[in-house]
Amino acid sequence: MSSNLATWVSPKLSDFDSLPSRSFLSGLRLPFVARSRRRFLGGAGVVHCNLREIRDRIDSVKKTQKITEAMKLIAAAKVRRAQEAVVSGRPFSETLVEVLFNINEQLQDEDIDVPLTAVRPVRKIAIVVVTGDRGLCGNFNTAVIKRAESRIADIKSLGLEYVVVSVGKKGSAYFQRRPYIPVERFIEVGSLPTTKDSQAIADVVFSLFVSKEVDKVELLYTKFVSLVKSDPVIQTLLPLSPKGEVCDINGVCVDAAEDEFFRLTTKEGKLTVVRETIRIPTPAFSPILQFEQDPLQILDGLLPLYLNSQILRSLQESLASELAARMTAMSSATDNANELRKTLTIIYNRERQAKITGEIVEIVSGTEALG
Amino acid sequence: MTLNLCVLIPNRIIWDSEVKEIILSTTSGQIGVLPNHAPIATVVDIGILRIRLNDQWFTVVLIGGFARISNNEIIILGNDAEMSTDIDPKEAQQTFEIAEANLSRAEDEKQAIEFNLALKRARTRVEAVNEISY
Repeated sequence: MSSNLATWVSPKLSDFDSLPSRSFLSGLRLPFVARSRRRFLGGAGVVHCNLREIRDRIDSVKKTQKITEAMKLIAAAKVRRAQEAVVSGRPFSETLVEVLFNINEQLQDEDIDVPLTAVRPVRKIAIVVVTGDRGLCGNFNTAVIKRAESRIADIKSLGLEYVVVSVGKKGSAYFQRRPYIPVERFIEVGSLPTTKDSQAIADVVFSLFVSKEVDKVELLYTKFVSLVKSDPVIQTLLPLSPKGEVCDINGVCVDAAEDEFFRLTTKEGKLTVVRETIRIPTPAFSPILQFEQDPLQILDGLLPLYLNSQILRSLQESLASELAARMTAMSSATDNANELRKTLTIIYNRERQAKITGEIVEIVSGTEALG
Repeated sequence: MTLNLCVLIPNRIIWDSEVKEIILSTTSGQIGVLPNHAPIATVVDIGILRIRLNDQWFTVVLIGGFARISNNEIIILGNDAEMSTDIDPKEAQQTFEIAEANLSRAEDEKQAIEFNLALKRARTRVEAVNEISY
């Protein structure tokens, strides 16, 4: 079957080699590569090929363009939904931050030791890598994976061990092909991240950390900056800091500068604009708040909530970034297809004209010879 | 005095209105909250939250969280929560059985922690569903 296919395909392919269509293929597969098309525009005059083949090619470009156009529109609609998800999660995170701030204030003087905040000398680090489920979104997934690779190299050079928790199909496929990278778990997230998804990740991370298998958990996700810009960032997930400061492990805590963890006021703004910072007003609050349980237990109950909401937020941002990246990629693919169609049509018309001219010349010279 | 209840989970608001009374499962046992309750902060266990609105009781499954009561304002922050009326009894029972089976297969401490949590969640959902059928 395969050899059959090859023989059927190969003459066509070699035909197409002479055609400008080579650059068309690369132009569509990698929507950002528009360079190759330039060459073909310049050399368009010398191309010689079958009229029908050009017509087929134009048809196929048209069809592909329809698909990319549709994908772009779908991504745009989904970005809006992702935005709504972030907005609807806001009452919770705002209240949580306010309550946490309050409790923290009251607990400031107490010496508390909660498992989730335990700062241990780091021997092993868990990295949660959040990727998307699908491709065709520019360099979104590659950027995350590259960042993960460089982070892993960093950790190795520090002489530490690491383990990966892979979230999303693309990342999982990547790590599955590289068995030398230790992966704790492959997790898949649905099309719209929910608390169940973040809970599943939090459970894994929690048990890894509490069972002292790892001493630090880092989260690598894509931060949504704007519709055209998103950055893979690393933030420390565990140990949590009960007092609201960035973790300090004797020189081992790298990337502390990038940590925006526990900055109690950061909330992303409308997805289309740069993040806005909301200072949550701390209402005049009766200071005689009694603790039903130990302060320790209170934090024990509150911090996992914070962990969850952090993970959920990163999932949501990651999704928004993915969709935005897809939108951009598909819109440039559509543009490319459009341009390509135009050029192909010009070539087609020129060929057709040349053919007609040739025929007329033949007829004329024929009659002249007769006469 | 009226009592305001606000139940929030990460992706939405479960309840936000005036109530007459609630019964909350904290990690140190159940507490009932009536208007003019003393201001407290408490950890909420995986358990059932009962809410009385006029003369009708509602049941909510709370998957752990935190509650703060002050000035007749109750704020409950949950990991997850579900109105018991939204739970499918069959599905809940099934999840419970799977969780039980999983726990007996746990190999190490890490898995045991995970499966225990899952079991507790599943059990609470089943309990909440059974409660309405009275």
